[in-house]
Amino acid sequence: MSAVVDEVSRPQKPGFGFFARPATRSLVGGLASATAWFVAAALTAFWPDKIESDWAYTGSLAAACGALAVALALAAFASVRFTVFRRFQRLSPWLFVLALFLAAWEVVTAKLGLLPLPFFPPPQAIVEVVIDDWGRLAAGIFASARLLATGYFLGAAVGFVTGVAIGWSRLAGYWIHPVLRFIGPLPATAWLPLAFFVFPSSFSASIFLIALATGFPVTVLTWSGVAGVNSAYYDIARTLGATQRFLVLKVAIPAAMPHVFVGLFMGLGNSFAVLVVAEMLGVKAGLGWYLQWAQGWAAYANMYAALLLMAFLCSGLITLLFRLRDRLLSWQKGLVRW
Amino acid sequence: MVAAPASDDPVRGSTLTLREVRHCFDLEGQPLPVLDRISLQVGRGEFVALLGPSGCGKSTLLRLVAGLDAPTDGSLLTEGREIESPDPSRVVVFQDPTLYPWRTVWSNVALGLEARGLLRTHRGRIEDALRLVGLTGFANAYPHQLSGGMAQRAALARALVNDPKLLILDEPLGQLDSLTRITMQGELVSLWQRAGFTALLVTHDVEEALFLAGRVIVFSQRPAHIKAEIVNARPYPRHRGDPHLAELRHQVLAHLGLDATW
Repeated sequence: MSAVVDEVSRPQKPGFGFFARPATRSLVGGLASATAWFVAAALTAFWPDKIESDWAYTGSLAAACGALAVALALAAFASVRFTVFRRFQRLSPWLFVLALFLAAWEVVTAKLGLLPLPFFPPPQAIVEVVIDDWGRLAAGIFASARLLATGYFLGAAVGFVTGVAIGWSRLAGYWIHPVLRFIGPLPATAWLPLAFFVFPSSFSASIFLIALATGFPVTVLTWSGVAGVNSAYYDIARTLGATQRFLVLKVAIPAAMPHVFVGLFMGLGNSFAVLVVAEMLGVKAGLGWYLQWAQGWAAYANMYAALLLMAFLCSGLITLLFRLRDRLLSWQKGLVRW
Repeated sequence: MVAAPASDDPVRGSTLTLREVRHCFDLEGQPLPVLDRISLQVGRGEFVALLGPSGCGKSTLLRLVAGLDAPTDGSLLTEGREIESPDPSRVVVFQDPTLYPWRTVWSNVALGLEARGLLRTHRGRIEDALRLVGLTGFANAYPHQLSGGMAQRAALARALVNDPKLLILDEPLGQLDSLTRITMQGELVSLWQRAGFTALLVTHDVEEALFLAGRVIVFSQRPAHIKAEIVNARPYPRHRGDPHLAELRHQVLAHLGLDATW
């Protein structure tokens, strides 16, 4: 039995006969979003771009929208026969709105030129960046991911161990707690100038800053998790012959895990912020650096592309963390869905 | 072995001796006396109930017997040796089942064996203990999927798997509904008869005490001292409608000053 409630079943409203059938709804929804994408494709292809502009990828963008429209239409027809395709029905309204957004963006930029360039490039400009500059973007993603992963894991590991130590040992609490209280609330970015001349390289300095930003919430939440363990859990284990080691590893830590994951989540958010700042100010690689570089050249399309990729990266990592939590804490009831 | 018939080794429980046990809590610097010179002798395999008004210090006494706390004064001995720390031969079943929510029923029951490094050699005992409490099909369930009665059964299995010589029961049925409670009272008696441990039960339910125990110790209000000791020699299985039990009930209530409603 899964403790995670997948879809809260809401009472179905009485429908209008024919339209209430799931097959019909799926077909109509799918065809509506397919039509919207088709309109976006046609608009892009047949409405000529504003005279003085020369966007290289207008045709490709139109083709991509058209291909998506065809795929959606096929899925809509398939959903009448095959229930597997009905899963996409949930996405139909979003796909519809996204198509309208893209079409509107296309119209006000490439077609009518209402928004000033180069600050607001049309969608095909972003397609152009992704296709022509993918090498540099991929290198940026790789550099950012490497820096983030190193700093985050280091900070999370140190934070976790420190949190358990404070929560468990009076001595550790006495010495570490005041330091934590005094230094922890300081934003990690405040250390930036110091870190960049104390550490041998900007890379190691950034790792330190990211680790610091991650470590603080992980420490505090782990500590509060360990300190908040029901004392009856310890009584039970003690009467059953548990050693101190067993109490820490098999009672305190598993009981604190829900808190630890909150800390890991907060730490991940903090680490993104520090990563981007560090890359903008010191490290000569990564998506943050690319953002800064693109802005320096007034290459706003590049900036938007980098922002978009960064959003995918951050959101993907948070999703990954939540998946891990759902797996490890499946015993918990009523988990927050991401 | 948990499920071994009692006839192999009829008396496997341990003795328990309390000598002039006093205990105080420290309440903002003021000592608050809880137990007042309690002396008690419990024989091997005996079932003794400690009965008293709530908040009188019965549960504190159990914590001392379990070795979770040390008494302010006096001594507690089992098999002639001083109780200094918790020991798996003396296992407590608390009012709240306190199963670990992150472990399945099976791993909850395995806790004591795991803590002592006996899991590898004594794995089979877990199945036996689950069968004994009627939870065979629920080994892989998580605590939040169990009803109150099932959770308390799992807690009982977690205690029994360690083959205790003294089972300490701190109002173990206090949170159950009355029907489950009646069923589990019967089960407790048959478990005790089969396994042969010494049982020390804290309760504030007069009928429960008389239905289960061979001897009922009546405590006063805090600081608790022993007011009376009532021997209940009725053979098992007992019947709730037994007039002799009703008579004993009257006596117990009189000691508690509650006989006016009789």
